[in-house]
Amino acid sequence: MMAYSQLLVTVLIIAIIYSLLAIGMNMHWGDTGLLNFAHAGFFAVGAYTSTVLTTPAATGLLGDRIVGLELPIVIGLVAATIVAALFGILIALPSLRLEGDYLAMVTLSAAEMIRLIITNEAWLTAGTQGIKDIPRPLAGAFPLSLGGFQMGYNLFYLGLTIAILIASYALFKRLSESPFGRVLHAIREDEDVPRALGKRTPVFKLKSFGLGAGIAGLAGALWAHFFFAINPTMFLPSLTFSVWAAVIIGGAGSYVGAIVGTSFIVGIRQLTRFLPNDIPLGSELPFLRLILIGAALIVVLYYRPQGLLGDKERIQAGQAMEGE
Amino acid sequence: MSTDPILAVENLRKSFGGLTAVDGASFDVEKGTIVGLIGPNGAGKSTTFNLITGFYEADEGSVRFRGEEIIDLSPEERSKEGMVRTFQITRELTGMKVSQNMRLGGQDHDGEKVIHAVAGTAKDREAEIGERAEELLRELELWDLRDEYAGNLSGGQRKLLELGRALMAEPDILLLDEPMAGVNPSLTDDIIEMIHELSAQGITFLIVEHDVDMIMNISDKVIGMHQGQVLTSGPPAVVQNDDELLEAYFGGEV
Amino acid sequence: MATFDPQFIWFGLVSGSLIALGALGLTLIFGILDFINIAYGEYMAFGAFVAFGLNTQANMPMVVAGIGGVLGAGVLAIALDKVVFEKFRNRSAIVLLVVSIGLSFILRNSIRIIWGSGTKRFDIPIEQAPTYFGISILPDQVAIIILSFGVLALTFVLLRKTDIGIAMRAASDDTDLAQIRGVNTERLVLYVWLVGGLIAGIAGVMLGIDSVLRPTMGFLTLIPIFAAVILGGIGDPVGAVVGGYAIGLLQELSVVVIPSEYKPLIGLLVLVVGLLTRPDGLFGEATR
Ligand SMILES: Nc1ncnc2c1ncn2[C@@H]1O[C@H](COP(=O)(O)OP(=O)(O)OP(=O)(O)O)[C@@H](O)[C@H]1O
Ligand SMILES: [Mg+2]
Repeated sequence: MMAYSQLLVTVLIIAIIYSLLAIGMNMHWGDTGLLNFAHAGFFAVGAYTSTVLTTPAATGLLGDRIVGLELPIVIGLVAATIVAALFGILIALPSLRLEGDYLAMVTLSAAEMIRLIITNEAWLTAGTQGIKDIPRPLAGAFPLSLGGFQMGYNLFYLGLTIAILIASYALFKRLSESPFGRVLHAIREDEDVPRALGKRTPVFKLKSFGLGAGIAGLAGALWAHFFFAINPTMFLPSLTFSVWAAVIIGGAGSYVGAIVGTSFIVGIRQLTRFLPNDIPLGSELPFLRLILIGAALIVVLYYRPQGLLGDKERIQAGQAMEGE
Repeated sequence: MSTDPILAVENLRKSFGGLTAVDGASFDVEKGTIVGLIGPNGAGKSTTFNLITGFYEADEGSVRFRGEEIIDLSPEERSKEGMVRTFQITRELTGMKVSQNMRLGGQDHDGEKVIHAVAGTAKDREAEIGERAEELLRELELWDLRDEYAGNLSGGQRKLLELGRALMAEPDILLLDEPMAGVNPSLTDDIIEMIHELSAQGITFLIVEHDVDMIMNISDKVIGMHQGQVLTSGPPAVVQNDDELLEAYFGGEV
Repeated sequence: MATFDPQFIWFGLVSGSLIALGALGLTLIFGILDFINIAYGEYMAFGAFVAFGLNTQANMPMVVAGIGGVLGAGVLAIALDKVVFEKFRNRSAIVLLVVSIGLSFILRNSIRIIWGSGTKRFDIPIEQAPTYFGISILPDQVAIIILSFGVLALTFVLLRKTDIGIAMRAASDDTDLAQIRGVNTERLVLYVWLVGGLIAGIAGVMLGIDSVLRPTMGFLTLIPIFAAVILGGIGDPVGAVVGGYAIGLLQELSVVVIPSEYKPLIGLLVLVVGLLTRPDGLFGEATR
């Protein structure tokens, strides 16, 4: 029983970190209508930034990593957010004036390039060897005895990530409902209109991109500091697509939806791990999971374009126009 | 009439592939006047609007606004200078509420900066913008629809919303592309009255409209376009009797 | 980094041929259906794996297996249109793009389940490469280049000389227009999927012959294909082919100035530079 509750805590932490990714994506797609396929790249940039800043340099079988600053983890988390945000802005820059499809192609390519660089620049990232022994914040203080109750580290980290999720949710929802968010929504609906009203839409798009990428970077850092080790294969495009599926299934434009959608996706991915391996196709479960996510995405788009929690009325108001 | 053009268009040219939509158009719009731009379908009126407001890049020609060349400015920069337009095919933001459409037009709004959005400052400006929006919505008889998604409005209501949204931006010159198309006739007189009022307050108007009688009625000056060129330009009484324009309008097809 | 070697030009022609094919197929589909099909790479991989199955599991000769794979990809493209894309016909380009992401998930992982995730090779003899003018030239590579030239030529004949091809080009310029002229758009859509799917199959099989087969093989070539499509002007078939060869050559020649691990970077670089300088593609007047 103990083992299961431990596992549940871990699954929850994963769901929360992925929810942060979905929140960032919802600002891009749900609020601004920007097609970002580089989210796994921002996640990776955050993870590696914080890791390199907080770990010592190390020697490895395939090559030595010569950078490692051993700074406090807080600095790593902040830097991860900022550096990922800057990457987001940098990637969005060349395609801002162009239509959505272009942005999709550029961002998808850019994320792969980030992975290529992480794989090849071992002096900085340890390359394919990955980086291990990433420090955990306040690890020394646990397990903590609180009057007979033993609080393990995972529970603490769950609390920490919940706090960050709540803060991020509040922040992004506030932004979305502010006059700033209003301009983002206008860009999503029809960019010419805010332009005709004197809004510098490229600047707004860059801000949206930076904010969403920044929170993805923070998520990456939280991931690295919980799981001790990272390597380039953790940041494949399929991660980006899972986040997309989460946002769309949850309902684009809804921040609660982003979290619900993520829970759904993480649920599929994690709960199927409990199925025994000797059922038919048991060893193919990882692939079946991804097939299921792909199918869920298509089914939701067909039967419930607004997603589970999206605003049906809004989508219909939009479609009323398309039909003309 | 004063001879101080707020807008001076010179030799504008724009082709799409082999088709020359605007072919060396030149005209002035004097400050504080109402100028009508008329011409048959495909004459190049909307394209001229798009060139003046920067949504299309001109092949050739110059657009001066208050004496300054603006041909290289982006649409948003031109709008910031005080030149605001509406679109012929309404571009209301379907997935946004009517009130939000209106508020988007508000200018100099610090609340649109991330810092203020997070800190929750700039609330006063938002309140001012909200009040102005309410005023205009009431005037346009859209107040009851303020919480409706713009996509659910009728064609005429969309036109009105777009007019209101443009007015929110406090323009110096307003370019209206067929503002009356589809609007309930009971409201057109109110709109004309509104345009006169705003004109009295110093706002300049350049209006494309197919209702020639109406244009002749409200305009200080009328410009007639045909096949991308300015055929005639002058006071309504003069243009009304221009044979060439009448020919362009009614000749051939009828 | 390496010093210049005429060999790179040969390699560039080979990979350029593959990229040009993929770019042509993708851009044709875009021209008619107006969306970027992210699953296109998976169509390529599927063709290759069907050929692999026929070749190594059913022991067919490579030529027969290859044809089987190509037909397989064509059938797949039509089937997916009927089962999936057709249901989304009047939805926005973005929705279609996201749908194609879902499909790419489904396809790639189905390939993994059916054929395994490991690296595979066609059962073809490993040949000695004779050397001409200091360039070692494999017969396979000659076949790839000749075949792709043949396919490209055939496609252009189709586009320019046949009724359906001419209708395709008309529809590519304006879908509504073609409808007015009495072209049956639905039939056109079917043809474009068939042609696009067959081309994907050919590209996939040849990619497998040139190197190895992996479930991700198609997805990973999407980046240079995107670059070629954009460079050529999205929706422009001639541009896509020229763009494809340009990217292929640039990639292979880039090893003179950058480490070879970063070859794929060229695609992105060209993408960005292309977008900044020529958003309408190589030949100016784009379709959008
Ligand atoms: N974006 C475009 N691409 C291609 N052709 C265009 C474009 N915009 C306008 N045109 C063409 O330019 C010509 C002028 O069009 P424009 O819309 O300016 O006419 P108009 O005077 O506004 O007509 P209407 O009274 O019907 O609104 C038309 O032949 C039109 O088809
Ligand atoms: Mg017009």
